[in-house]
Amino acid sequence: MRSLLILWSLAPLLWQLYSSLVTPEALVDPAAVAANHFWTLENYRQLLAATPPFWRYLLNSSLVGGFSTALTLALAVPCAYGLHRQRGGLRWAADALLLAAAMFPTVLLFLSLLQLARALGLGNQLLALSLPYSALNLPLAVLLLRAAFADLPPDLEDAARLEGLNLTARLRHVLLPLLAPALGSTAILVFLFSWNEYPIALTWISRPELLTLPPAIARLAGSSLFTVPYGAFAAATVLGSLPLLLIVLLFQRSIVSGLTQGAIKG
Amino acid sequence: MNRVLAGLRPRLAASSRRWPAALLMLPAFALLALVFLWPLLQATWLSGQASSLLTGLRPLGNGGANWQRLLGDGRFWQDTTFTLRFALVSVALELLLGLAMALLLHRPGRGGGLLRALTLLPWALPGTVLALGWRWIYQAPYGPLNALIQALGGQPYGFLTTPATTWLFVVLADVWKSTPFVALLLLAGLQAIPAELEESLRLEGASGGQILRRLTLPLLAPWIRLALLFRLAQALGLFDLVQVLTRGGPAGSTESLALYAYLQAMRFLDFGYSATVVVATFLLLLLLTLLGWLLLGLRSGPTAAASPGPELP
Repeated sequence: MRSLLILWSLAPLLWQLYSSLVTPEALVDPAAVAANHFWTLENYRQLLAATPPFWRYLLNSSLVGGFSTALTLALAVPCAYGLHRQRGGLRWAADALLLAAAMFPTVLLFLSLLQLARALGLGNQLLALSLPYSALNLPLAVLLLRAAFADLPPDLEDAARLEGLNLTARLRHVLLPLLAPALGSTAILVFLFSWNEYPIALTWISRPELLTLPPAIARLAGSSLFTVPYGAFAAATVLGSLPLLLIVLLFQRSIVSGLTQGAIKG
Repeated sequence: MNRVLAGLRPRLAASSRRWPAALLMLPAFALLALVFLWPLLQATWLSGQASSLLTGLRPLGNGGANWQRLLGDGRFWQDTTFTLRFALVSVALELLLGLAMALLLHRPGRGGGLLRALTLLPWALPGTVLALGWRWIYQAPYGPLNALIQALGGQPYGFLTTPATTWLFVVLADVWKSTPFVALLLLAGLQAIPAELEESLRLEGASGGQILRRLTLPLLAPWIRLALLFRLAQALGLFDLVQVLTRGGPAGSTESLALYAYLQAMRFLDFGYSATVVVATFLLLLLLTLLGWLLLGLRSGPTAAASPGPELP
């Protein structure tokens, strides 16, 4: 059963890996191709030699992801702390709004956000994407961090207050160090979602050298709808998946605990 | 008088401590209002305006003409049908498969962490990347699925060119991507069930199927409900996958509402009508979520009452 699960998850990806490493002739008819004309790195060479080179998209996505994560945490930590201190109606209303926003399919916002970008001159500015991305990720981030604040022993902050620490000092030296695991899971999830966002990047960015990975892949797919450069497509799929494979393998525990904690307490 | 004041003082102190805390929430909620609330209000307003090439992209009130057009727009209703069908079928499959996957992941064994990471991988990939990947897998006649069919002696099948069935293959690609998310939620639910409960049912001689029905599923109900509502909302906003995998085709059979709204704005430059489609989709989403909530809320009553909790020692 376990091997079936692994096959289901990996087979489509392994097929992409195989397709990216063979010549077009070998893709079409593997039996008719001589052994020395079977394997090739040409697909990768093509992608990396294109203008802009493929790694540029990965870099752009990483930059946006990193900046969005920092901005989200900078807004979410104070908000989560504030929410944690609320009681009664305000807290209930804030929780309900955050949960609704976390579920909302964000593609429905693209039209108005595009007009916002035009009005504020944010089109074709890579890091400006962090503004909507932070907002889209705030609901989950705040719910996760609020749950983490609630898990801390309540006497801890009172003790720190009696010691005369002000709010900033209490957060920096007492509360946040204990929140490190929750901050880590939140950061990874925000990074993942920002890395993968498509509709807003598609409509805000048009200059090729500023594209993040998802719209760059879509553009590649649209460039040759009826020919069969599937080796190059597969190579792009592999290169686009590798960073995420790395993240998932390294941070599997944080991702799982982030997703499930958000569900338990959100 | 003094006593009244003295009684008030702690309460005042508490609320004054709460007020600066509430202020800390302001920046985040201001950004949320700008990115969630403002677009919804703006789109609602724009849906009452003509704003297209004909008006030079300037909004002009047109007294609900967009909404009249929507009601008689066959393409909108076709897209609504597809979006609903896609959402219901894919979410149902994701719940079933996700439950199986969660039960499998829940079983103790070596390499659980690695197994979980590999299971999670499809969920972590960008939608456009996996759409491009699946386009090659479905490709006719050279893609791997067709190569397999031909090796078994069949004729190549146009997975992405047969209007009657292409939506099923969109469902399959989405199930592949989203099931891990459902599985993880349900796994968290499984881990919250005390092992002693299962143990004592087993001692009473209950079979695996009985334990699943009498213990696991009732206790998992809140998790299933959460996964269902979350996935349903996301599935109704289907966009990345169809925009790259099928471009809404063949013959518009896999055009989702979000893709239609996108095309109205970006291809036909009709912003007013695009906003109308966006708002209509939002209303549909609201309606379905409320309906799901009500139905599941009502059904969860008796299930919770029938849970085996009280009968157990």
